[in-house]
Parts: sequence; C-alpha cells; structure tokens
Amino acid sequence: MTTQEVTAGSEVDIVEASRTNLWKDAVARLVANKLAVIGIIPIVLLFFLAVFGPYLTPYDFLAQDFTARLAAPSSEHWLGTDELGRDVLSRILYGARTAVSVGLVSTAISLIVGLVMGSLAGYLGGRVDFMVVWLTDVTRSMPALLLAIVINLTLKTPLEAWMEEMYLATKNGFFRQTMWVDLVLVFGALALIQWPGYARLIRGQILSIRSRNYVLAARALGMPTGRILTRYVIPNAMGPLIVAVSAGLGGAMVLESAFSFLGVGVQLPIPSWGKMISDGLRMYRTHPHLLAGPAVMMAIITVSFAWLGDGLNDALNPRQWGG
Amino acid sequence: MSVLLDVQGLQTRFRVRKGYVYAVNGVSFSLEEGETLGVVGESGCGKSVTMLSLVRLLPPAASIENGQVLLRGEDLLQLDLRHLRDVRGGQVGMIFQDPMTSLNPFINIGTQMSEPLIYHRGMSKKEALARSAELLEMVGIPDGEARLREYPHQFSGGMRQRVMIAMSMSCEPAVLIADEPTTALDVTIQAQIVELVKELRDRSGVAVIWITHDLSVVAGIADRVIVMYAGYIVEEAPVDALFEDPRHPYTVGLMGALPSLEGETGTRLTTIGGSPPDLEELPDYCPFHTRCPYAIDRCRTENPMLEPVADASDRGHRAACWVDIREVAVQSNGAGASS
Repeated sequence: MTTQEVTAGSEVDIVEASRTNLWKDAVARLVANKLAVIGIIPIVLLFFLAVFGPYLTPYDFLAQDFTARLAAPSSEHWLGTDELGRDVLSRILYGARTAVSVGLVSTAISLIVGLVMGSLAGYLGGRVDFMVVWLTDVTRSMPALLLAIVINLTLKTPLEAWMEEMYLATKNGFFRQTMWVDLVLVFGALALIQWPGYARLIRGQILSIRSRNYVLAARALGMPTGRILTRYVIPNAMGPLIVAVSAGLGGAMVLESAFSFLGVGVQLPIPSWGKMISDGLRMYRTHPHLLAGPAVMMAIITVSFAWLGDGLNDALNPRQWGG
Repeated sequence: MSVLLDVQGLQTRFRVRKGYVYAVNGVSFSLEEGETLGVVGESGCGKSVTMLSLVRLLPPAASIENGQVLLRGEDLLQLDLRHLRDVRGGQVGMIFQDPMTSLNPFINIGTQMSEPLIYHRGMSKKEALARSAELLEMVGIPDGEARLREYPHQFSGGMRQRVMIAMSMSCEPAVLIADEPTTALDVTIQAQIVELVKELRDRSGVAVIWITHDLSVVAGIADRVIVMYAGYIVEEAPVDALFEDPRHPYTVGLMGALPSLEGETGTRLTTIGGSPPDLEELPDYCPFHTRCPYAIDRCRTENPMLEPVADASDRGHRAACWVDIREVAVQSNGAGASS
C-alpha cells in the first residue's frame, strides 16, 4: 500500500515537472546541477584550447630562451620557464591538445571495440558471450600501467624499425616522424585498457533491456529485430553509456599523463602534462612552478570530468523515467 | 460458431542447470470465434508460458517440445519467423501484466502506437498517427491527438494499460491474449480495464483469452474457463458450470479461497496449503495429490487425464481427477447421518 502511494505521488511530480521531451528533461536536470555546470566550464575551455591553443600561446612550445632558464613566473612568462628556457604556459596550452586528442581518439577506439564486442556478447549469448567475457576478464586482470609498459617495450623497437624500412622503401618523409609510433602505441594501450569496461557495460545493458517488458511487448506486436534494436534497445542503453564515456574521457587523459610520467607515453617534443609533471618533480623544491602549472591543470580537468560525470549520471538516471 | 484457435498437446519445458523443468505438459484447448476463455491458476502453474508458447515469445531457455497451435488452420509452431511476425500483433494481440514497464520510455506514445500500424497495415506515418489518436479516444483517453506527443512516464498505470490495449487492438486481431492485465493495477482501475476489454470485445468481435489468478474477474468476463495446475489443464467448463459444479479438488480449493460478501467476518480465508511443484520430470502421479484433501492411493501412482465428468450439465465440462468429489462429500454426509 505504502509503495503504491509513494509511486503515485512521485508520478504526479514527474508529470507536472515535465511536459516535454526526455532529452530536454535530462538537459534541464543537468543545468540545475551546480557542480556539473562548474565542471563543464573547464572542459569546454579545454576543448577550446585544444583547437585554438597554439594560436594563443605567447611563445612557441619549443622556443628556448637561454637568458631566462628556470625563470619564476613573471609578466613575460606568466607561469615561468623550464630548464631549457621554454615558456611553461605555452607548453601547458599545447599539452591540452595532447590530452584532448589522446582522450578522444583512445575513447573512440575503445568505445567502438567495446560496442561491437559487447553487443555481440549480449545479443548472441552462448559461446560468443563466454569468449568476450573471458577476454575482458583477461585484459582487466592485468594492471593497466604494466600493460602499457609491456606494450611500449615490446612493440616500440620493431615498429620504429618498420617505419625506417618503409621510409627507405618509399622515401616518404611521413615515416621519419617517430612521434607517430608513440601516438599509436599510446592510443593502442589506452584502447586496450579501456575497451573491456565499455564491452561489459554494453553487454549488461543489452542483457537487461532485452528482458524488459517493453521489448517483449514490441515482439508481441510483431516488430522485427532490427527495429527493436534501433528503437528500443539502443536508445535505452544510451544513458549509462554517455556517463561512462564522460568518465572515460577524463580517465584516458589521466592515464596518458601517468604513462608520460613513467616515460612510456607521448615523447617530447610534443608537450604532455604528465611528462611536464614528471620533469618538474625533480626540481619541485627549488622551482615549484614547474610542477604546479601542469599539476593544477591536470587536477582541475580531472575534477571537472568527475563532476560532469556525476551530473550526467543524475540527469540520465533511468529511475526517474518511471519506466 | 467455428473454431478459431485449436491447441493440441502443447508441451513446453525450460532447460535448467540439472535437466529440465516441465512447464506446460500436453495442454489442449480450443477457442471459438468471438469467445472469451478464462485461464486460471496460481503463480507458476504454466498459464503464462502456455500463452507465450502460442506465438513463440518464450525466453531462450524454454523450448516447445510438442504440439500444434492451429490459428484458422495454420500451425503457428511451424511458421517461419517472417510470417509469425505478421501473426503477432496482426492476428494475435497481447497485453501484459505490468503496464508500467510495457511501454518504451524513450519513444512518445504516438510513435509507439503507429509502429504496428505502419508495419502491419502499411499505413503512412500520418495515417497511423491519426488512427492512433482515434484508438486512444476509443480506449477512453480523451484528447488523444494531444496525448500522442507525450511520453509513457506522463501516463498513469491505468492509462498505460489502456494504451497497451489500444496498441494490441490496433490491427484488429482475431485473438486478444490478456496476461493478467489487471494484476498490477488497483481495484477500481481493474474494474475499468475489465469493462473496457468487454466493450471492445463486444464491438469488434475479437476472441479473448484472459489469464488471471482472480476467479471473480473470470466470472465477470469469460464464457468458458480452463483451470491449470503444474502445467496441466485440470478442469475445463463453461463459466456457470464451473462455479456451480466444480469437479476438480483444485478448483474447489480456489473457490474456497475466494472471500465472499456474505461470509462471516473474523474467520480466516480457506487456503490451499503448500505451493505447486516445479516438475523436473513428467509425473506418473497426480501433481496435485500432495495438497489434495481427497487424494486416494491411485492418485500417487497414475496421473489422471482430462475427461468429461459424470452427470455434467454441459458436454464441455471436463476434469482430470480419479475421484468423483461429489461422492466423497455424499459419503461423509451419510456417515455423519448414520452415527
């Protein structure tokens, strides 16, 4: 009796609160969440910097000023300079590009792999399901950083050798740019670490949605499988997926920094926050600004993604859809 | 009256960790055009699985082992999936127990309602929406056109069930299978839904299979009733004959468990002790004997078939019991009189 009364009450609230579209409702709930909005601002700014940062930097990220090595923050160098006299602010702005591209690309790759594997597992079941779950278990059982280090150590040399061979064969300058090797390895390692999470999420979503009553009702109305997938299963699986992607973007950026910190990430000259933190750490007693700049930036972005993820989670929470 | 749906020897079982659970065990019944058949039994007696088997909407662990489901002479169990989809929604409409979860929360009511019309009837989106608005008004949701743009969470439970009914009736099916459509609703809404289905039935002539565990609902809507227990039909009779002259101990027990308006207050309702068994093999005993007050030795060694009862007021009255429960009652009365 009590539960009936409670559901009846909350239903009235929802009916009155929303006379519009579910997505609009979700956006309204997201905007009403202060932390999420605070989180969105740095994220938008980060993406803006990733695109336009290089045009805004006061100095080139490689420009070395030997007269001002290890300079403290000043009006000329707002965040000071590093050992080689490079402007820290410029390097942080460039680093946004590394962080965003690594985040986007690795998340996209792992999302696609996870979507395919997860849907296959969830929909086909049986042996396919068993194989996919086994693969995710194996991947997840290995520590992420160890996996990245192993990949870097085992694949980097052969890949570079292959690039050199290709250069000698084609005389195409592209194959001389070894930073591509770094990027491919970092993207690959990140995707490998992250796809099992997406695959499991999607598998779980499909398994749970497939047994929902509205799917049974749609089948009872004679709807074909393709239509049920596109109209019923996928839209209802989107909410948790959006939340996971938001968290995953932030997670990938942090992981990339961790790789760089350990020396298996993107190698110089492309600036990476993790690498800058790692370099700055050596001198943090005498020149704390080298550590503070990238570390604070990293912290802001991490917290922002966490807040946005929480906000999205609340906004898209299926509990409130009464379905 | 001609036979619309003829089910013969339907057998469905579930694969479980150790072997099988036998959910539907050789169920046979028929449904005439325009007839309303009530199916009663407690939870887990196989009534829902039986109905899902008819249009093969079973979960993956279940398989139909045997039987025929002839809809106007066409065996649905042999039909390929493409034609089966035309039957689902086209000729057989279904409504389910929980209207709160039976609608896709992501699609507005209009789009959802027009899908079967577009798919089965080849209507354009515009025609389908116009028809959906009419259907909403038909099931008693006023201002249908405006409500088409709304989402399921903006509808109450009773209204959602009305939408489900409108959807299942939209392609003018020959049979409407209603699987406990009122169980999740409160009592006043239940009565409204029963009335609505009756009204639609009388207007369109659709045959209805109404699954429920509520005998009082069946009394109000059904022409004929089958009583199921442990995957068997244990009694089948026209609704009046069943209520006046129940012949299976289980039916008697179900009726005893009904609260009556005139009954003395303060007394406990009679119940049937225990719960129905999950059959792990086909029994060579009456599956009800463990809970049956009339059980005799034969019940433990042989499973009775569904056979016409003695001195029936109607030829269609059949029961599966070794004991003529009227005689037992008479005997005990006689004993009481002589002492």
